[in-house]
Amino acid sequence: MSDYHYFDVQLKLRDPESVVLTPAYFRGCILNSLESFFGDIGGQTTVDIVKFSVQQRRVIFRVPEDFYERTRVATTLIGHYQEVPCHFQVLESSKSLLDFDKELGEVVSKNQSD
Amino acid sequence: MVRIKNRYIAVQIVPQTATRTLRLNDNTLTKCLLENVGKHYGVYGLGLLEQGFRVKYCNERTKIAIIRCLHRGQQYVSSILPLITLIGDVRAKFRTLYVGATIIQCNKFIIKHQKEFLDKMMGQLESAKERQDLLKSVMDFDMDR
Repeated sequence: MSDYHYFDVQLKLRDPESVVLTPAYFRGCILNSLESFFGDIGGQTTVDIVKFSVQQRRVIFRVPEDFYERTRVATTLIGHYQEVPCHFQVLESSKSLLDFDKELGEVVSKNQSD
Repeated sequence: MVRIKNRYIAVQIVPQTATRTLRLNDNTLTKCLLENVGKHYGVYGLGLLEQGFRVKYCNERTKIAIIRCLHRGQQYVSSILPLITLIGDVRAKFRTLYVGATIIQCNKFIIKHQKEFLDKMMGQLESAKERQDLLKSVMDFDMDR
């Protein structure tokens, strides 16, 4: 049994050219959102970036299982990345390790058919 | 029809430096508590707590207050009370005295507590006028204030 929950997330930006996308900034964005929604006591957790793709603007990260719900909420509610309006599309989330090997279209169509 | 369950928390405010009265009212206390809940539990905690939250009673002389909140929001209040060190602009801390489900039970406890307080204070005063003034201000339960 793994103690982590994995997220496969794609960043949808209104203006993709004007932002710097790095794992550290991305992690900070999620941690900020968690802290603003759940505060100092409920929003402190470890977010590990597993895979990061700048071209696809796609990230796989993991959080402890207890924080799955809170992270999902916080990720969905993010509205800005470096002051550029955006949203995070959660393509997939699972208890086992995720990978980029699936094509983007495949995942989206699978999610829509669910 | 579902009954709304409330919890009433009786707290005592203990200032760092001994003062006779605190410059406090319900509004400053409410603001201070909600600010701290927002800091420690974020927007989510604040949203859960705000419904039904009210400071029902605040006595400056005995430094006792009653906070009303919903049953499900009680832990958010009681857990941040020990973490607060600044109330308004006074450096002070909270001592939780009692948590009750009705304001009557809270009242009963406070009356008992205030009687003990009166006994202690009476010994320190000299003139009968002073004693009467003290008695009046302590027993003045103005619940709608």
